[in-house]
Amino acid sequence: MMLAELDNNSNLPAGIYYFINIMRDAFVKNQVRRYRQLQGRDNRKIIGTYCITVPEELIYAAGAIPVRLCGGSYEASCIGDELVPRDTCPVVKASVGFTSLNPISLYQMCDAVIVSTTCDAKRKLGEELSNYTEVWMLEVPHIKDTDGSRRQWIQQLYTLKKNIEKLTGRKFIGRRIRRKALEDSIGIINRARYQARRLYEIRKSPAPVILGREAMLAINAYSYDIAFEWTRAMSELNDELEALYHKGQFVCSEYTPRILIAGSPMIFPNWKIPSLIEEMGAVIVTDETCMGNRYLYDPIGTTEKSVKDMMVGIAARYLMPCVCPSFTPNEDRLYRLLQMAEEFNIDGIIYHVLKGCVVYDFELIRVEKIMKEKNIPVLRIETDYNPEDIEQLRTRIEAFIEIINSKKRKMKEA
Amino acid sequence: MTVSQIRWITLTVSFFVLSFGGLAALSLGNFLPTFSCFYVESRSGTCFLWVLQHLLDHGYWEAYKSLGKYLLYFSLLVIVIGRAWCGWICPLGFFQDVLDLIRRKLHLGYISFPEELRAQLSCVKWIFLFIALLIPLWVSFPFFGKSIAMDLRQPFCQLCPGKYILPFILGDTVDVAVNFKSTTTIIMSVLGLIFSGVVIFGALLKRRFWCPYCPMGLFLSFYKKISFIKLKKDCQKCTMCGICYNVCPMEIKDLLTERKNEDVTFTDCTLCLRCVEYCPEDETLRATFFGRTIYKSSSKGFFSRQHITSGFPEEKHQVVSEPYQ
Repeated sequence: MMLAELDNNSNLPAGIYYFINIMRDAFVKNQVRRYRQLQGRDNRKIIGTYCITVPEELIYAAGAIPVRLCGGSYEASCIGDELVPRDTCPVVKASVGFTSLNPISLYQMCDAVIVSTTCDAKRKLGEELSNYTEVWMLEVPHIKDTDGSRRQWIQQLYTLKKNIEKLTGRKFIGRRIRRKALEDSIGIINRARYQARRLYEIRKSPAPVILGREAMLAINAYSYDIAFEWTRAMSELNDELEALYHKGQFVCSEYTPRILIAGSPMIFPNWKIPSLIEEMGAVIVTDETCMGNRYLYDPIGTTEKSVKDMMVGIAARYLMPCVCPSFTPNEDRLYRLLQMAEEFNIDGIIYHVLKGCVVYDFELIRVEKIMKEKNIPVLRIETDYNPEDIEQLRTRIEAFIEIINSKKRKMKEA
Repeated sequence: MTVSQIRWITLTVSFFVLSFGGLAALSLGNFLPTFSCFYVESRSGTCFLWVLQHLLDHGYWEAYKSLGKYLLYFSLLVIVIGRAWCGWICPLGFFQDVLDLIRRKLHLGYISFPEELRAQLSCVKWIFLFIALLIPLWVSFPFFGKSIAMDLRQPFCQLCPGKYILPFILGDTVDVAVNFKSTTTIIMSVLGLIFSGVVIFGALLKRRFWCPYCPMGLFLSFYKKISFIKLKKDCQKCTMCGICYNVCPMEIKDLLTERKNEDVTFTDCTLCLRCVEYCPEDETLRATFFGRTIYKSSSKGFFSRQHITSGFPEEKHQVVSEPYQ
């Protein structure tokens, strides 16, 4: 449904169709041909991941392919409803639902899944999933900056590395994650991050050249694609957007209200909030969700190419800059939001809380407080994947955008 | 050219100028804030720590007066570039970086001490500094143990790994031995040789092994507030990605965790600017000279130095697959 809506927009940049097709193949046509090919012909393993704290570099270095499985489907969340407590967030419900009934091959094809213990729901998710598939838990320390947690985290990654090697290794020969492979996989994903950052920079322009729902979809598609293929498509899209910018072909004027989406992730096909916001005449210029900008923003930096140094670099990348509210204290997120509000010249923040996502809801008060000082309005929206509340949300979002519009008009006159 | 390459060139050039400048009758004075070791015959200038201990143990007014003069020149030199003397000029720093390069080429990882141990070891540099300052005073007024005191001239130099390593690598092995003159000299030279051995092995395992314990570095860091050169951080832009902490040879964690002050020139910082080079955020870290930015971090610079701004990974890693339609 969402894809059809996107398709109907005649102004779409040509580069975006690649990402729409990825989503269509994964969720509508239920085609994972590419992955199947890799599994069958090249004997590659497919490893599912949950949360952004799972280092994909290790998976690529072992010759396996990662797929990010965090679920966003309403139907799957209905299946999951029966299996997990009622107050659990829909991400976990949908993930359990997808895994238990395997309605789409994306979940079926995984040889193992890695679940990191970020929030409470994800922690228990791993346990539930182990009924259906092989699960490796990855313990994430919740206080980031102590020496102990740093060491513990690096230790966890070495254990994970061993697990991956065991899965991908062949009998007698065994396949270690070698130095060169690790170096290459860091390069591969850093390239993807470089392209993601280019898109991030392009979206800073005063009059946007791409709508938020499309840009977010493109980033989201990374979950279901192979990194280098995605990088290539993204680089084409970026080239196209840069050309559009120089030609002056904007999707809306520079007076359009600029919205930042904060809070719980919007995972395709749960695209109702981004669509609503942009239907109501605002534009999403950026987001800070773990399925959006946070996913591919921070690169890995290493000065030397020894396995040890690269592991330290990977460990730092996946723990330190992650501002998921499951970490505490989480001042860093407030700084990040302030910086984004400044960089993108934000007019308002839509704070998305998935029902049951307590940690994001907790931080709302702090976010509201700092944004009040900056005179940026914040609208909290609590919802799940259920499409029933769309009209009600539409009214609220419309009113919010109208407030911003009248404020902007006043400023323009003055 | 990256800042690391410029630093390597500067380090190499200054190593040769400081070690062999004397052969070309070059004289840079007796107040250099760097380990231009007195025991290297062909040096072109002398380490201020040697001069400091030498003049302190005289006990004459004249000696103190010339010490004051040298201290003034020394201070001027330090105020201009601060601890960049350590990161960019120091011959012992050069030696450690060469060992570091060898380790790196062999793809051996480095050791990093736990934070707690690092905190405990941070008193070592103070102990060395007190040895360099207090024992010469005892030597000049030896109200007890006169014979021991007279053998303790330049006490820190007898312990300093620079005294043994630098002449040794330049082929002068006269001083690289146990000094059997008296029990005191035996103890001091044995300790010094042990320290030198530890530093050589340490530098092969750990980045800039000696520098956190160097009393000269501590002395230089006293000037950090008034020094012209400073390291600055934009705390709001920082995403706390931790790269600066990982690439820092001195393992300064405060650089990462600082969230209030702009000035992040910490005591141990040798201003090697590796953190600025590797910071992936625009203008988050920068080096300033006299308030003017001379080098700043940038996202584009970060990615282009990793050669990933153009092109795609080599073919062999690619998955051959049918195009998506």
